[in-house]
Amino acid sequence: MKKLLPYWLVAPYVVHMLVFVAFPVVFSVVLTFHRWNIISPMEFIGPDNYVRLFKDRLFWQALFNTFRFLLVHIPLQIGIALGLAELLNRTLRGAAFFRAAFFLPVIVSGVVVTILWQQLLSFNSGMLNRLIAGIGLPRVAWLDDPAVAMYSIAIMATWKNVGLYVILFLVGLQTVPPQYYEAADLEGATNWQKFRYITLPMINPTIFTVVVLSTIGGFSLFIEPYIMTEGGPLNSTLSAVMYIYQQAFQYYHMGYSATLGFFFALLILAVVAIQKRYVEQEI
Amino acid sequence: MSRVQLDHIAKAYGNGPRVIRDVNLDIQDKEFVVLVGPSGCGKSTLLRMIAGLEAITDGTLLIGDRRVNDVPPNERDIAMVFQNYALYPHMTVYENMAFGLKLRNMPKTEIKDRVTAAARLLEIENLLDRKPKDMSGGQRQRVAIGRAIVRNPQVFLFDEPLSNLDAKLRGQMRIELQKLHRDLQATMIYVTHDQIEAMTLGNRIVVLRNGDVQQFDTPITLYNQPVNRFVAGFIGTPPMNFLPGRLSGTGPLQFQSDQGAVTLDLSQSVHAPALASFRGHAVTLGIRAEHMSPVPVPGRSMPELTVQADAVEHTGNEALTYFHLDDQRFVARLPADLPLTFGQSFRLFWELDKCHFFDAETELAIR
Ligand SMILES: Nc1ncnc2c1ncn2[C@@H]1O[C@H](COP(=O)(O)OP(=O)(O)O)[C@@H](O)[C@H]1O
Ligand SMILES: [Mg+2]
Repeated sequence: MKKLLPYWLVAPYVVHMLVFVAFPVVFSVVLTFHRWNIISPMEFIGPDNYVRLFKDRLFWQALFNTFRFLLVHIPLQIGIALGLAELLNRTLRGAAFFRAAFFLPVIVSGVVVTILWQQLLSFNSGMLNRLIAGIGLPRVAWLDDPAVAMYSIAIMATWKNVGLYVILFLVGLQTVPPQYYEAADLEGATNWQKFRYITLPMINPTIFTVVVLSTIGGFSLFIEPYIMTEGGPLNSTLSAVMYIYQQAFQYYHMGYSATLGFFFALLILAVVAIQKRYVEQEI
Repeated sequence: MSRVQLDHIAKAYGNGPRVIRDVNLDIQDKEFVVLVGPSGCGKSTLLRMIAGLEAITDGTLLIGDRRVNDVPPNERDIAMVFQNYALYPHMTVYENMAFGLKLRNMPKTEIKDRVTAAARLLEIENLLDRKPKDMSGGQRQRVAIGRAIVRNPQVFLFDEPLSNLDAKLRGQMRIELQKLHRDLQATMIYVTHDQIEAMTLGNRIVVLRNGDVQQFDTPITLYNQPVNRFVAGFIGTPPMNFLPGRLSGTGPLQFQSDQGAVTLDLSQSVHAPALASFRGHAVTLGIRAEHMSPVPVPGRSMPELTVQADAVEHTGNEALTYFHLDDQRFVARLPADLPLTFGQSFRLFWELDKCHFFDAETELAIR
């Protein structure tokens, strides 16, 4: 009886792991070699799904869209988060208030935030366009212009998530011992030099963490285009995850959707590996 | 010229109390001055004001006859070595030492010359490619000093640079710092809470207490003529023994301890003239452990006491012997070959002329 106790103690975790992680992973890999619409039995079709993936222009467009999103979203998010963290790290009046304020959007439901932004960015009645029109400039089709829509979404997603990264950077900044800056002060270092030669290298572990987290977060872009643009106009905001979702739950192409998901996961893994190689430094 | 003058310097952090009250010091060119005092007395604060890392609340700071109160640190011609070294972990030793020079846009070849020269002086040439984490505490300490040297400043500031090292290394580095001072011919201001470090390194020593300078003198003067009871107790190991008592009001000049364990006839002592005006007053007697001996020295006035040993610490070359007089704990430094053990009674002779007397009220030395 005593010997069994340890197994009982780890059992909940193991069961959870098997049911919600191991089984879905294995099952979806199996699925990639089948055709299945949930209702009829699974039909083995070999590598057909993979062949189809490489010919699927819409999937490649969705991937391209996702990268366009990431290209704006990640630098913007990291730059703004680091800048805000730098400001908050000083003994600023009301720093506690701003810390909370920046974090608020992170914990508000993505659906709510998205609907708010949809109104904000609306072509005719949106506050942003009314401001722009108010100062005599032409209105911008924030969500209706295929060339603009994805970037509007990138800005919105940045606004929603930046608070989390502000907090992460703030923690990173606070681990830098103040003597390093004092030693630099004695050498007459400017604020920029202190940032460049001390802060940046010292918070590299945080930077790497933030880059990876926001990459993974960015790759899973879904709610924002799903609610605001439904992937349009002209599929310009169709994200990879959204396309995978459509394949699974609109067309019931479960096997193909699993194939897309599997390929996409490998792609994220490759991108993170590249980041690990080039962003992470030993200190 | 790198004389450093502090004129009525005071410091308060924010709206807090003054942690440095009114400090006046005139530190000569090429002098090695040590700021010593218990933790929290304001040593670091004072040093950081000289460095320019803390604003000066009140008073005037002159470095080389120039008022530098409002001059940024890098223009004060000073370099500072921090207690925890503050070496940049992501830079090699070479990069650490070159960092400040690079910021000044010094030509690469000159940077190389300077770093190499400093590394040679400190015997760390073989460490130049290492990162701080791959070095011992002593090596890091040298690099930290090297980083100060390459700038070739007129004034070096040290804030407890040896306190993270073990005792043996500390002793070694003390010697090297003395040598460095001779080689570099620069003014050095050195903070420590360790009075042995202060005594061995300083040309002159500033004893600080609660933000006030108690005494600014050579080590020998501090040891022989402490101005008050605090300095007397702070300088010297083991610390000076104290015994509260009173001087006789009439009759022959006598010191009587409060609980009567000790009565000393002072009428023939060197202290008699100074003590005359304190007759009838409460005074504290002070005597150092090394000024008591088991045998009288011929020709000196040495009153005799019989005491009982509470504890004996043999260090090989001497025996620190503890006992009580009244309820005060005393320690005497006795020859190691004296066969004394716990509980044993023995005779002690005091060098009366080496005793100190302090006004019990003001704690000032009576001289
Ligand atoms: N940044 C600070 N803010 C407020 N008080 C401080 C600060 N730094 C030091 N103090 C106070 O000033 C006094 C002197 O401190 P410090 O100069 O560090 O002493 P020491 O170096 O002699 O140990 C202490 O009472 C300490 O609490
Ligand atoms: Mg200190």
